[in-house]
Amino acid sequence: MTEEQRAEDSKKGSILVVGGGISGLTATLEAAEVGYEVFLVEKNPYLGGRVAQLKHYFPKLCPPSCGLEINFRRIKDNPGISFYTLAEIESISGGPGNYNVTVKINPRYVNEKCTCCDECAKVCMTKLPNEFNFDMGTMKGAYLPHEMAFPMRYVISPKIIGTDDAKRALEACKYDAIDLEMQPKTVNLKVGAIIWATGWRPYDASKIDNLGFEYPNVITNMMMERLSAINGPTNGKILRPSDNKKISKIAFVQCAGSRDENHLPYCSYICCMASLKQATYVREQYPEAKIFVFYIDIRAPGQRYEKFYKKIKEDENIFLIKGKVAEVQEDPSTKDITVVAEDAVGGEKVQETVDMAVLATGMVPNTVDTKLPGDVKYDPDGFVVSDLDRGGMYATGCALKPLDVTSSNQHATGVALKAIQTLVSS
Amino acid sequence: MANSYWVEPDVRFVKQLKRLGGDTLKKCYQCATCSVVCPISPEERPFPRKEMIAAQWGLKDKLVGNMDVWLCHQCNDCSTYCPRGARPGDVLNAVRAYSIQEYAWPKWLGKIVPDGRFWWLLLAIPVAIFLFLLGVTGHLHIPEGEIEFAKFFPTLLVDIIFVPLATFWIPVVFGIGIYRFMSDIHKNAVAEGKAKRKDLNIPDFLKSIACTIPTILSHSKFSQCTENKGRYLAHILVLFSFVGLFVVTNIFFVALYILQIPGPYAQANPVKILANISAIALLVGVILMISNRLKDTGANVGKGSYFDWSLIILVLGLVVTGGLSQLTRLAHLPSIAYPMYFAHLVLVFCLFAYLPFSKLAHLVYRTLAMAYSRYSEREPCD
Repeated sequence: MTEEQRAEDSKKGSILVVGGGISGLTATLEAAEVGYEVFLVEKNPYLGGRVAQLKHYFPKLCPPSCGLEINFRRIKDNPGISFYTLAEIESISGGPGNYNVTVKINPRYVNEKCTCCDECAKVCMTKLPNEFNFDMGTMKGAYLPHEMAFPMRYVISPKIIGTDDAKRALEACKYDAIDLEMQPKTVNLKVGAIIWATGWRPYDASKIDNLGFEYPNVITNMMMERLSAINGPTNGKILRPSDNKKISKIAFVQCAGSRDENHLPYCSYICCMASLKQATYVREQYPEAKIFVFYIDIRAPGQRYEKFYKKIKEDENIFLIKGKVAEVQEDPSTKDITVVAEDAVGGEKVQETVDMAVLATGMVPNTVDTKLPGDVKYDPDGFVVSDLDRGGMYATGCALKPLDVTSSNQHATGVALKAIQTLVSS
Repeated sequence: MANSYWVEPDVRFVKQLKRLGGDTLKKCYQCATCSVVCPISPEERPFPRKEMIAAQWGLKDKLVGNMDVWLCHQCNDCSTYCPRGARPGDVLNAVRAYSIQEYAWPKWLGKIVPDGRFWWLLLAIPVAIFLFLLGVTGHLHIPEGEIEFAKFFPTLLVDIIFVPLATFWIPVVFGIGIYRFMSDIHKNAVAEGKAKRKDLNIPDFLKSIACTIPTILSHSKFSQCTENKGRYLAHILVLFSFVGLFVVTNIFFVALYILQIPGPYAQANPVKILANISAIALLVGVILMISNRLKDTGANVGKGSYFDWSLIILVLGLVVTGGLSQLTRLAHLPSIAYPMYFAHLVLVFCLFAYLPFSKLAHLVYRTLAMAYSRYSEREPCD
């Protein structure tokens, strides 16, 4: 695409996409590839969102590198797309067809000269909790968010700015890629439509006081993804956190805080499938392991998921028990976990002592506490409500409701078209 | 499930439960959290999840005559953890209220005692009896001189009313309900595999009652509740003050008829002291019960229907009229003291006469269910 073509595109109108996860990427690409100018704003130092943290994802159970890489390729090839990482929307004014947006870009302290040689990280002494791995393991103050990060560029954590670590990192860099004086920048954008793809975060399992998240061997489903992922804290080996023991018995606790008035009143749609998928991770590494899944109802929406569920049921060492776990204990000496439920089919209490328990926690929209700058409506759970009559601003993906990747992509494509309609009609 | 079962939903039963405080029962989606978080549910075939689905489906025969319904002490730990606000603790309370009506004989009294529309009739019955008896014996006026309640309401007259009530009405009327209740819970426990013993042996059952009494007196079930701690103190105060007043009544009965010592008795009399301590404990207990229920913000204490409140109000009335009778007697206020005593006797009559039909029947039904649970080896004797 030539510069003239780009100028031509911007004349057609511009779209702002907020959030660079799978929904935001899809919306961005779908709009840009039919010739609209798109600005993509992401608050993390990398694109890819939650999908980047998974080991495998539906429908094909491919690693995230597979789907994300092609999307990053498409972004690189498309001059109609400008993306900002470490960026937040500060303010929005105007209306459909004519929004003025202020974007604040936080300093990365690393410029485009970075070659990812890792010398800066090597000299950092301070260990910070690794947020990408849900605090399992640590990271340095100068770091690459993850191996597949896009843009492939290191980041200096604001936590080490002003410390000796930062100085050492600066001295270690042979490419003049570190700039500790980098300041926040503000960018003003004029766009005709805005797509909110602000995504989700896992429900805080420590709020569920009867499911034992305080024990080291009780983890969440997203932690399980990191524990199983090849670029995770254990390089993909599923070992229980307390002592790195191998797994012979594992329990999956469904609806941990979901469909529960005391926590999240709604169903997060994909946690059942996520646990069944994680059962395959365990099976792959431990052919003999016994896997217990405690559920209220197994929700396998659609024909493909139903088929997957049927396949899982054929495994003789996977036990699906209808009954929600309501009590979790730890043996202080062995660190083994005992989960207690009532098997609602048999009518008897079931106690299973396992090496590790995985809580299937649900999705909380990021907008539950951080409200968007702009005239946006929310449902009682904090998800964004798209005002289709007014137009101009549309939510997609898990900002709208809990969704899987497939549905997010379908929805994001539809929303890209909605945004285009706003541009055309205004 | 092992065997198939022909489901015959009783919609009227469901509606009744809703009216008796179980209006949340349809919200249950059978996640079984309740059976696990319940601190007093047995390990085998725990409650209340199975009771919740039976309630939703209107399976009256699985609930009325189910001992587990009576093992529940309405801690409401289950209701606190219930993800749907289905309030299993309150639903089981409604089942108990329904069961009391179901076992009541005569049936019409079982229907009108829990019915809020007839409270006046229930009060009018003793008022009419008392007025009639006082009238024909020429006592229908405020006596002169030092206040002695026996001058107004002769002790013999009191006993003509209350002795038959205690020795005939309650044993016979309640006995019929108890007999049907016992045979039902035994049948149900055997059918549902909750009983390890299949026979019903009376001497052994009496032994089980003996082993249940310490549990009741110590309130060790109540003290296992994690929610609703306040109820432990309130209930134990009320129970022990009733025990105290029962003892006092019997001693004075013996004093009057065998030792021939009529009242009023001196305030320093040890039995009188026990009576006054019991009365104060009862007042404190019932006020705690009321305040626990009123200050409840949703999760903890049972919601309560007319069935629950009518007993609490009756007990409050008893202690207030009893206490004021004594205080106004000591203050030499005959125009208040005598009517107050009359009102007190009316309420005592209500407590006894309607015992098998009111919430107070739980005193017997729960004791029997707890004893049966031990007898059938569902729970150990502690």
